[in-house]
Amino acid sequence: MDAIRTESLTKKYALGWRRGKLLALDRLTLHVHEGEVYGLLGPNGSGKSTTLKLILDLVAPTEGAVWVFDTPATKVASRLHIGFLPENPYFYRYLTGAETLEFYGQLCGLSGTAMQRRIDELLDLVGLEHARDRRLAGYSKGMLQRIGLAQALVHDPKLLLLDEPTAGVDPIGSKDIRDMILRLKEMGKTVLLSSHLLAQVQDVCDRIGVLNLGRMILEGEVDKLISDQRRLSITVQDLSEPGRAKVEEAVLSVGAKMVSVEHPQTTLEHLFLDAVGRDERGAGEHD
Amino acid sequence: MTEQTASREWVGFSLRRVWIIAVNTLTESMRQKVYNILLLFALVVIASASFFSQFSFGEEAEQVASVQLKFIKDFGLGALSVFGMLIAIVGTAQLIPNEVENRTIYTILAKPVRRFEFLLGKYSGSVLLIFVSLVMMSMMFGAEMAFKQQKLVGEVLQEEQDAAARGGLVDHQEIQRNITSIRADALDPNLVKGVILIFVKLALLAAITLLASTFSTSMVFNVTVAFMVFFTGHLVGTAKELWEHSAFARYCLALIPDLGMFNVADDIILGNAIPWLHVAKVALYGFVYLATVVAASHFIFSDREI
Repeated sequence: MDAIRTESLTKKYALGWRRGKLLALDRLTLHVHEGEVYGLLGPNGSGKSTTLKLILDLVAPTEGAVWVFDTPATKVASRLHIGFLPENPYFYRYLTGAETLEFYGQLCGLSGTAMQRRIDELLDLVGLEHARDRRLAGYSKGMLQRIGLAQALVHDPKLLLLDEPTAGVDPIGSKDIRDMILRLKEMGKTVLLSSHLLAQVQDVCDRIGVLNLGRMILEGEVDKLISDQRRLSITVQDLSEPGRAKVEEAVLSVGAKMVSVEHPQTTLEHLFLDAVGRDERGAGEHD
Repeated sequence: MTEQTASREWVGFSLRRVWIIAVNTLTESMRQKVYNILLLFALVVIASASFFSQFSFGEEAEQVASVQLKFIKDFGLGALSVFGMLIAIVGTAQLIPNEVENRTIYTILAKPVRRFEFLLGKYSGSVLLIFVSLVMMSMMFGAEMAFKQQKLVGEVLQEEQDAAARGGLVDHQEIQRNITSIRADALDPNLVKGVILIFVKLALLAAITLLASTFSTSMVFNVTVAFMVFFTGHLVGTAKELWEHSAFARYCLALIPDLGMFNVADDIILGNAIPWLHVAKVALYGFVYLATVVAASHFIFSDREI
């Protein structure tokens, strides 16, 4: 059974009187399998958020239909197993972290000690125990994103829809969210996330689909899509100049072609995370 | 619990979820600075009625107490109506636009929550806010009346003592009559009826503000519509009398709620009887109107793209 299934899903938005319609999504057929992390990629305005809104029945399709675990998205019951994190959420500024989760928990039928236990678990999962009694007006962007993730998980849904989950979050917060997504995958959850931050999606997604101008232009498994089967990269350490000449000679002797020889570079993100991590460890030792 | 039973449990309309959203709306509103400042100002204004009542002059000495109490009643009911109106409009006009702007509406409707439950919850939260505000303002109003009554009775007794000290004639029956009259004036049960009708009027005004916010995302638009309805609503009664022969005008006027019907302050001040049956009839008119407006809001909101 697919967690999400869409057939010829089309959405046109009316632009106002005599200004025609905007085609936001064009005959999208999508199958998100249970237990996988699926990344919906695309530039701004490509139809990612519209797709999520159609899955949640926040907007009605012009044509086509959506099913969530085989239940039509137009039925309230389809949302029993969905947790949703919108892009840049703000929530209720005057509620504390714990009150926010209590509110969403109550809406999902939780109450009493079961709910209190769930709130404790979630605050622990997203690392916000220290801010449980602080009002959300005093939360940073990264903290709001985490409380957003916690509210999406409050009723232990099988499917999570995350709209740009790492947008506007610093590299450490972003890595935390990616680690959380991987943890959710280990727990057997299905995740559909939309993003335009490609490097981040690459680390967590099993499959991706690329949308442009409302149409799916590329889809497949991440590993297969990004690996170049004709090329091979070997990384060696402490190779002397004569040694290197012999390797090049060997490559040429078997009829292969040397494309490039270079020192591998780390990513700026890894460099940043390493530096901040070292600094914090150092500060910890001084304490 | 199996998944199937869970599905069955969640599909139906749930008053519990409406209540949860209503309480959340009330909490959120009551923690806002604008609400607290407005309520504080209302309480100060109501508390100042006694001070202003001293400036009623040109009356016969024995009527002073009655005139002062009438002033406080008029002032108090007016303040309840005006500040209640401000709280009802400001509290309701921002509900849905804020939900959309902060994207909280997505997180709620992404849960197994019906749109009607959301709308009714938001509206009920607004009505709860009006109720709590009116209770607080009425308590201040009541305290003000009790304080004034005590002061006026004290003055009568003081006059009696002064007259006795001067060796003049003291009419004990007259004094007792004065005290009884002051107490009856201050503890007027019609005041409760007046407050009940103000509550129904404000709940109706909140419903109209909600209706505006279901099709508009602009808070300024919602507030403007609500103010216009509030002011024209108080003129409907007069307009009906003026154009009673025009069927077209009558139909048009039927669309605007007759808010003047809810105003019984004049009768209270004049000491006219206000039967409970009249209160019930006006309240029923308010509830029917209010239910129709909420139903219309649901009709628009259920198809709105968010």
